Amino acid sequence: MWKYIDSLMRTAINRTVDRTVLRAIRDQYTENVMEMIPATTKVGVTNLLEIAMRANQGTPLSRPLGSPIHASPWDRLFFNPVHLFRFPTQDNVQIQTAVTIGKRAKRPLTVSIPILIAGMSFGGALSKKTKIALARASSIIGTATNTGEAGLLEAERENAQLLIGQYNRGGWLNQADKYKRLDAIEIQLGQGAQGSAPQRTTAKNIGPEFREVFTLKKGEAAEIKSRLPGVHTKDDFIQLVHRLQEEAEVPVGLKICASHHLEKELQIAIEAGVDFITLDGAEGGTHGGAPTLQDDVGLPTLFAIARAADYFASKGITDEISLIATGGLVTPGQMMKALALGADCIYIGTAALMALVSEQMTKTIPFEAPTSLVVYAGKMTDQLDVTQATQNLVRYFNAVLQEMELVAISLGKTSLSDLSKTDLCTLDPFISKATGIELGYVAPEKQTAFFEEFQPEIYQSIDPVISEETRLH
Amino acid sequence: MSHEQKLEHTLTYLHSELNRLETMAGTMASIEQEHFKKLTNYDHRELNDIAVEEKTAARQLGSMKQMCLSMAQRINELKNEWHHEESRENHNHVEIH
Repeated sequence: MWKYIDSLMRTAINRTVDRTVLRAIRDQYTENVMEMIPATTKVGVTNLLEIAMRANQGTPLSRPLGSPIHASPWDRLFFNPVHLFRFPTQDNVQIQTAVTIGKRAKRPLTVSIPILIAGMSFGGALSKKTKIALARASSIIGTATNTGEAGLLEAERENAQLLIGQYNRGGWLNQADKYKRLDAIEIQLGQGAQGSAPQRTTAKNIGPEFREVFTLKKGEAAEIKSRLPGVHTKDDFIQLVHRLQEEAEVPVGLKICASHHLEKELQIAIEAGVDFITLDGAEGGTHGGAPTLQDDVGLPTLFAIARAADYFASKGITDEISLIATGGLVTPGQMMKALALGADCIYIGTAALMALVSEQMTKTIPFEAPTSLVVYAGKMTDQLDVTQATQNLVRYFNAVLQEMELVAISLGKTSLSDLSKTDLCTLDPFISKATGIELGYVAPEKQTAFFEEFQPEIYQSIDPVISEETRLH
Repeated sequence: MSHEQKLEHTLTYLHSELNRLETMAGTMASIEQEHFKKLTNYDHRELNDIAVEEKTAARQLGSMKQMCLSMAQRINELKNEWHHEESRENHNHVEIH
């Protein structure tokens, strides 16, 4: 009986495939569904989908988790293990992972690991259960979590041993009774996936607890302005930093979307005397944002870190102002390279959420997206098991840290804070020139000669016109 | 005992205790690290979770060590500044007389 069914099915499949192939070959493109293949290849699957979505909605799309474009060439950097010239660290040595943020502050913030949980707001982005799981995991690990652009969620404060709060453009955490309960204050002027653009959560997506935490009236939308309320000049910003430092006594920092104006922005932050700076690269994630803001705005994380670290070094303030990097850091290797480039610590958002959901995604697939378990407006937020989510995140952090510790041992380091650019080499001459990381193709002593000899060829590969000008001069 | 002397004694006491706490945190971190290694030998899920907790505790002890160290440094700086000021005042006093 089964043999007969099997044979019948094989015949049916064979005939169908044959007819499909013949149809694809014989029909003109105008009548051929296979037209979708070159069309999709030309435009890209994501772009095709988003063109159709824009045509349907007529308003900017809200794409979750940030840009799919990998703009930072992390894969062009490699760590340099040691064997004899310097010995690897002995395996019984505990690699130091602790970092102090805002050493100049009255009450600096020390975290046990250089990875923090990024600002993802309750309501605007995540459900209460998810925020609790993130807070609990951060406390177990000994790191800090971040409020995101929100009010103060009591459950988050209770569960987080260390909480960084965003003094935000919505104004929801900007009252002394709230920010004095934080362990660090991050003035949020922008983010990698949104630039400094305004954002809005419509009233229909705002439930009673959201309204309470954000102190909104019924029917009122939650709006994030492009500017911070009351900050319209450089002096306004400087005064705000001083006031917060005086009142809260905790590290006060600035978060921006990294851009080509980076050094100008950093200079003002330095003049204001901030204790830390958070740079969110172009690859930064978000709960949902316009694809154009995500794909076409900002500076990739790798270059943002390298430029900021260089600028701090040129001003002699590397040890005074902590540099926190974020934006598209997904693998332990990328995180570690960010530290080696000069970041004191990094934030992770998307990766933390994926780790948190991990085993529980079976509750959603194949009919719902796994994010429906964690986002505030998700259909299945009530099904998230907070204990399991916390456990998964703790395991994830441990795995990440152990991988980083293994690399540190191989580099002959005893602390993650000892990582530097000299622990890296690159296979890209432009990255080498831009960041000061040595080029892996030639020996250290031949770097200068290599670049002098090949300068015209390198220019040629960027722009033949520049190359010609270089030759003439 | 004058107020200044009392304060100096307190600072000296805090400094030595912080140094002791730093050493204790370091020792405990090593023990936790050893526990982590032993517990991961069994390839047992629950034991692995306990091992992860041990490893996390070791890291937190590492950060306690760092906190103790920087607090001890601050106390030292405070004492040095104080001594410096005191000797300057004594010097001025001698010059006046």
